[in-house]
Amino acid sequence: MSQTSSTGVQPRAQTPRLGWLSRPRSFTDSRRFFLFFMAAPAVLYVLVVGVWPLAQGFWYSFFRYNLIRPARTKFIGLDNYIAIFEDRGARQAILNTFQFTLTSVGLQLFFGFCLALLLWRDSRFNRIALAFLLIPATITPLVVGLIYKALLGADYGLIGYYLANAGIGPRTGLLTDAGTALWVLILIDCWEWTPLMALILLAGLKSLPADVLEAGRADGATAWQRFTMIVLPLMLPSIFLALVLRTMDAFRVFDSVFVTTGGGPNDATNTLMVLAVKEGLQFFNIGYASAIGNITILFIACMATVLLLVVRRADVRINGK
Amino acid sequence: MAQVSGRQVFAERTAVLLITIVMLLPVAWLITTAYKPSNEIFSIPPRLDFQPTLDQFRNIFGYFDVVSLLRSSIAISAGTTVLSLLLGVPCGYALARSRSRYANFFAYFFLAIRMVPAIASLIPFYLMMRDIGLLGSWWAVIIINTMLNCAFVTWMMFSYFRALPRDMEEAALTDGCTQLGAFFKVAVPAARSGIIACVLFCVMFSWNDFLYPMFLTTLDSKPLSVALLTAYGTKDITWGSLGALAHFSTIPIVLMALFLNRYFVQGATNGVQ
Repeated sequence: MSQTSSTGVQPRAQTPRLGWLSRPRSFTDSRRFFLFFMAAPAVLYVLVVGVWPLAQGFWYSFFRYNLIRPARTKFIGLDNYIAIFEDRGARQAILNTFQFTLTSVGLQLFFGFCLALLLWRDSRFNRIALAFLLIPATITPLVVGLIYKALLGADYGLIGYYLANAGIGPRTGLLTDAGTALWVLILIDCWEWTPLMALILLAGLKSLPADVLEAGRADGATAWQRFTMIVLPLMLPSIFLALVLRTMDAFRVFDSVFVTTGGGPNDATNTLMVLAVKEGLQFFNIGYASAIGNITILFIACMATVLLLVVRRADVRINGK
Repeated sequence: MAQVSGRQVFAERTAVLLITIVMLLPVAWLITTAYKPSNEIFSIPPRLDFQPTLDQFRNIFGYFDVVSLLRSSIAISAGTTVLSLLLGVPCGYALARSRSRYANFFAYFFLAIRMVPAIASLIPFYLMMRDIGLLGSWWAVIIINTMLNCAFVTWMMFSYFRALPRDMEEAALTDGCTQLGAFFKVAVPAARSGIIACVLFCVMFSWNDFLYPMFLTTLDSKPLSVALLTAYGTKDITWGSLGALAHFSTIPIVLMALFLNRYFVQGATNGVQ
């Protein structure tokens, strides 16, 4: 048995060695050791401070574990996960998170693309405008929440007062009404991140091959045809990148929700992150909060995979690769 | 972009200008509240002819230990940035130059770490810090911020170094330069602008973050962002004072991003080209 396995491994082990011999001289063993020790600290650090807590969180999620009553800690298998789907508030948080992510990233993609097309022409004016447009993305998200909370209050807020006077929207204010609060949060997220989306798309637009665009113009294609048949297919990688980045961020939304509504009214704006923070760090329900965190990771991983597949598909259909 | 009419350019610029102004109005409102007397902040319609005053700034120095808050914010940002770069830049370089088939795997591993929601590791991390007695200190925040930021720096420098030719370093090595010498004297200077972008983003992330410090710091070690949150909702603190306090938490970053805009763009669009 051991004989067969060792002979089976032998040829595979030799191939890389042959490959290594044929490499240029400068890539020596000392170079390899050097690179290994350059990479090792960061890898170790992330394993200890990042991956180890994640593994612990995975482990805790199978326990009834509350810091206030540590003596009653008990292994309960998948009960925490089942509890999430049985709890109305948690189900609401899952739905809210998806609604928030899909709508807000969708709107950002649309408006971001429009903005990127407007800024495409390379000029000093556009560069300066872009620098100023990016200010919302650099402001502390916490402050963003505070600004809108102040502006939207129905009794004193600048926007809220006029809306209430004109009879638009709920009397108590847009952020304190269960029907509108989530939409307001979506709009705040759009305000904050659309310019960043535009920036990523703009970088994609600027790297498009000029001769292909020129050829389209020479062939007499209309602006709309050039956009749908040349620009859009070539932009797919950038669109994908922008979508992945923004989807991941939007799904983890916490700051602006926590500050403006705290998940209320009546769980109407509760998101997975807000729920997990409340459960874990205010009620010290470690097991349950860890389960919510793990479900969030699972959702994010699934969405990244789906996005990847969709873009591959679209790429094959349009570019025929 | 050949032959475009002046009229089209004019229309585009007007649109861009209008969008920019509308986007910046809320920020402008926040800034102006800090200079208004308390009774005029919410005057409707808003008045532009208010008598500017520095009262709000005087107030916040009475309510908060602004110096201590600033010191915490600076300590956390500086600590995080230095540690993240010390760990991340060499790692990004090594992964970009390595010929091991695991290099790409590790690069994507770092990217994936950044996608993980903060809360999933925050709770076990909180317990870990409690057990080793770092809870409530700047270090707790710096340690976890460094984890996320060094993952970002590694990925960013990985793609940056990969785009740089290796010839220079290999020439330096054959000329008898040491491995470390080739890294510090050849590779790092060539990647200067990528490193500046990393610094900008590390400072921005750690300065703006409030989830970690909210749970990991105490009254004496809390940074500006946490103070803003706790200040809000306290009765004797007006929106004007909040606006004044927000000056300290937003203006340094906004100015940095404006002046280093080229690097900001580079950092945000990294991996597109």
